[in-house]
Amino acid sequence: MTAIAIERVAKRFGAVTAVAGISLDVRDGEFFTLLGPSGCGKTTLLRMVAGFADLDAGAIRFGERRIDRLPPHRRNTGMVFQNYAVFPNLTVAGNVAYGLKARRVERAARAERVARALTLVRLDGLAERWPHQLSGGQLQRVAIARALVIEPEVLLLDEPLSNLDAKLRVEMRGEIRQLQQALGITALYVTHDQEEALAISDRIAVMRAGSLEQIGPPAEIYSRPASAFVAEFMGVTNLLTGTVRGSVGGRLRIGVGGIELSARGSEAAKDGRVSLSLRPETLRLLAPGEAPPAGWARIEAVVGRVELLGATTRVECLAAGKVTLRLALLDLPPESIVPGAKIALTYDPDRVAVFPTA
Amino acid sequence: MIVLRSRSVFPLGVTAVALVFLGLFLLYPVFAVFHVSFLDKAGGFTLDNYVRILGRSFYRQSLWNSLGIGALATLAATAIGVPLAFCLARLPVPGKSAILVLAALPLVLPSFVGAYALVLLFGRAGIVTQALRELGVFPGSIYGTPGLVWVYTLTLYPYVLLPTLAAFKAVDVSIEEAGQNLGASRWRVFWTVILPVVAPSVLSGALLVFMETLENFGVPFVLAEDKPILAVEAYKLFVGEVAANSASAGVLATLLVACTTAALLLQRYYLGRRRFATGARTAPPELRVGAGLRWLATVFAWGVALAALLPFLTVLVIAFLEYRGPVLHPHLSLGNFVDLWHRSSRPLINTVMLATSAALGAALLGVPVGYVLTRFRSRLSHILDVLAMMPFAIAGTVLGIGLVVAYNAGPLALTGTPVILVIAYMVRKLPFNVRASSAILHQLDPSLEEASINLGVSPARTFVTLTVPLMLGGIVGGMVLTWVTVASELSSTVILYSGPWATMTVVMFEALEGSGAGIAAAAAAVLILVTSLPLLLVYRLLRRYELAMT
Repeated sequence: MTAIAIERVAKRFGAVTAVAGISLDVRDGEFFTLLGPSGCGKTTLLRMVAGFADLDAGAIRFGERRIDRLPPHRRNTGMVFQNYAVFPNLTVAGNVAYGLKARRVERAARAERVARALTLVRLDGLAERWPHQLSGGQLQRVAIARALVIEPEVLLLDEPLSNLDAKLRVEMRGEIRQLQQALGITALYVTHDQEEALAISDRIAVMRAGSLEQIGPPAEIYSRPASAFVAEFMGVTNLLTGTVRGSVGGRLRIGVGGIELSARGSEAAKDGRVSLSLRPETLRLLAPGEAPPAGWARIEAVVGRVELLGATTRVECLAAGKVTLRLALLDLPPESIVPGAKIALTYDPDRVAVFPTA
Repeated sequence: MIVLRSRSVFPLGVTAVALVFLGLFLLYPVFAVFHVSFLDKAGGFTLDNYVRILGRSFYRQSLWNSLGIGALATLAATAIGVPLAFCLARLPVPGKSAILVLAALPLVLPSFVGAYALVLLFGRAGIVTQALRELGVFPGSIYGTPGLVWVYTLTLYPYVLLPTLAAFKAVDVSIEEAGQNLGASRWRVFWTVILPVVAPSVLSGALLVFMETLENFGVPFVLAEDKPILAVEAYKLFVGEVAANSASAGVLATLLVACTTAALLLQRYYLGRRRFATGARTAPPELRVGAGLRWLATVFAWGVALAALLPFLTVLVIAFLEYRGPVLHPHLSLGNFVDLWHRSSRPLINTVMLATSAALGAALLGVPVGYVLTRFRSRLSHILDVLAMMPFAIAGTVLGIGLVVAYNAGPLALTGTPVILVIAYMVRKLPFNVRASSAILHQLDPSLEEASINLGVSPARTFVTLTVPLMLGGIVGGMVLTWVTVASELSSTVILYSGPWATMTVVMFEALEGSGAGIAAAAAAVLILVTSLPLLLVYRLLRRYELAMT
C-alpha cells in the first residue's frame, strides 16, 4: 500500500531524450496508466520505477522512502512483463514460489501462499504444469500470480495484454482491474491502447516524446483533452481550427471555415486562433423539421461518404462547402442518408473541447 | 534489444576480471613481441631487426609464400564451399544431414594430421607414390605449394560452407519468384539476386579461411619442406636451432599479426556494412532438377565431404599396420600403439588434463563475458568486446612467443609450468566461447532475467541460478568444442610446453621430426579419436552452435 512519487525524472539515450523531467504522483491504491505512442518514454519511466533503467536526474519515492538508488532486486515491486517472462525451466508452482524463495519464506508458508495466489488467478490444479503446456492467457495469469504473491509495494505492468488475442484481452483486463481493486494495491500500467487505458484506469497520464501531455481520470481525458495530440490519440475526432469571434454568456463563438461553432469557455487566445475537438458521437442528426435543443447550435451539411461498421455507422459530410465533419451514428442510419443528401446536425456546446493551436 | 541497468556490481566485476586477464595474457605478451622486435642487443630502440630480416630474400619470401598460399587456398575453399552450400540448400541430395555432420568435422580434427596423412600417401616414401613408381609413373611432388593448398582447402572449406549454407537457406523464396515474375530466367535470378544476397556470408567465411592459413603452424611444418612460411620461420628463429633469436622472431611475429589483423578488420568491417536482411520464415524449397544434375550434385557433395575425411581415415588404418623401421607392412598390428604407450602414457594424460582445465577455464571466463556483452552495454564493455575478439587475429605461434617473453622471469614466472599452457588455450578459445554464449543469449528473452531480479534475486545470483541453467546445453556444447580443439592444438603448445608436460600433439610433432613413423601414426590416430568421439557423442547439442564459430 504505497503511493509513488515521481519527481522531475529525466533520462537520455545518447541524443534522444526518453524522459524529459516528468513529475507525477500515483496515489495509494490507485490504478494509474501511462499511455502514449511507442517511443514516448512510458516504458522507460516504468523501468525506472522497477530499477531497470537509471535516472539521469530526479527522484522516485515509494511513500516517503526514496528508492531510485536501490538495486532492482531490493525494490519490492511486482512486475508483469509484455511477453510474460515465465521461467521455462520451472513449473507453474516453481515460478510463483521463485520470489518467495528469494525472500527466504519457509517451506510451509511458501506452499500456502503459492496455493492462495494460484487460486486468486484461477489456476488451481495447474501448479505442477510446465510453461510450455500452458496457453497465452494461462501464462499471463502465472506472471500475475508470481508478481502478486511477494506482496509487492506496487504492481508494475508493462503492456501485459499485447500478446493476447482481442477477446482474451478484454477478459483479462477486467480480471486485472478486479484483482487490483480487491487487493487495494497501487498499480502502474503501461499501454499504447487508449481503449484499454480508458477501461481499466483510475487515472491516465498521456505521454508524448518524453513529456506529459495531460493527467486525469479517463472521462476527463476523453472528453476534455488538453491538446490536439490528446484529442486525436484518445479516439476518432473532428479536429478543427478556427478564430474566436467573441463570447456570449460563457460561450465562445468560433468561426471555422464558413460555419460558426460554439463552445464552453470565455477566454480566447491572444491572436484569436484556437483548435477544437468535436467527437463524432457528439454530433446528432436532426430529423427533418426537428429543432435543436435549447442552446444547442445547428449545422447544415451535405452527406459525402457513408461507412457501415456494424454497431455504428460512420458518416462523412461537408458543411458550408469546405468543413469536413465526421459523425458516428448508433445502429443503421435512416434511408435518407445517402451521398449528396442534405442533412442538419446539432451538438452540445459543452462537449466541444477548445485548446490553443499547436 | 533491452538493456539492463549497467550500474550494478556484477557486470562491472566480470568486465574487470576479463580485462585484467586479457591485459595480462593477451595485450602484454603481444606487446612484448612488438617490443622485443624493436630492441637492439643493448636494449635500446632500433629498426635494425626489421632492416636485417626484410633485407634477406628468404624471409621476404616467407611473407609472400604465406600470403600467396593463403590466397590460393581461400579461392579453392570458396570454389568448393559455395557450390556445396547450394547443393545442400537447394538440390535433392540424399543424406544431407549426414553430409553436414561429416563436413563440420575437418574444422575440429587436427589439420597437421591431415597433412601428415598426405605425406604418408603421396610423400617421397608414400604408399601411393611407391606403388606408382613400381608401375613406372613418377608423380609430381606434393611438398610445398600444392600440398599446402590441398590440405588447407579440404580442412578449411567448412568455414565457407556453413555461413553460406545458412545464407542460402535464409533467402526468401518470394525474392526469387519476384525476379522470375519480372521476366528474369532462373539462371539470371541466381546471378543477379541470390548470389549478391549471400555474398557477404561467403566473403566473411573466405576471410576466415585466409586468417586460418596465415596462422597455421602444423600444416606447413609437415608439408612446406624448404619453402619458407611465416609462422614456421618465426618459430624456428625463436626456438633457434643455432641460437635463439627472439628479436628476429619478433619481427616475423609482428608481420604475422599485421596480416591476420588486417584480415580480421576487413572481415568485421565487411560484415558490419553488408548484411541483407532477408528473414525467410522457412527455407526455400528444393529445386526440381533432372536426373543428371541430381547425380552430379550427389557425387560432388559426398565426394567433397569424404575426400576431406579420407586422409584421417588413412591415418587410422595405417596406425594399425605394422612398421618395421620406416617401412610399412600390410599386417594388422597394435605395435605402434604399444610403442607409443611404452614411451610414456603421460602425454595422453596431459592432453586430457590440459584440455579439460582449458575448457572449464574458457567457459568460466567466456560465458559471463558473453552475458555481460549481450545484456549490459557500456563504454567499458565496448573495449571488452573488441579485446575479446582479438585472439582471433593472434596466431598461436605469436601468442606462445609473447607469453614466453613476458613471463620468463619476474613475479609471474609461468614459463615452463602447465599453467601457461592452460592460459594460452583459454586466451585462444575465448572468442569462440564468448560468441557461442552470446548466440544462445540472443535466443533467451532478457525479461526472464529482469523478472527474476524484480522478484528479489540479485543479478549475479540470477545469472548463476537462472541464466546458466537455461544456457546449459549451449555451454556444454561450447566446452566440448573447446576441449576438442585444445586437444589438437599445436602452434602455441609447441612453444610453451616443457619436458613433462608434452601433449599428444607434441609427441606427434617430435615423431615427425625424428624417424618414428609408426609412433607418429599411432599418435595421430589417438588424436583423431580423442577429437572426433566426444564430438559425435554431443553432436545434437552442437548443431545449433556450429555457426557461432563463423
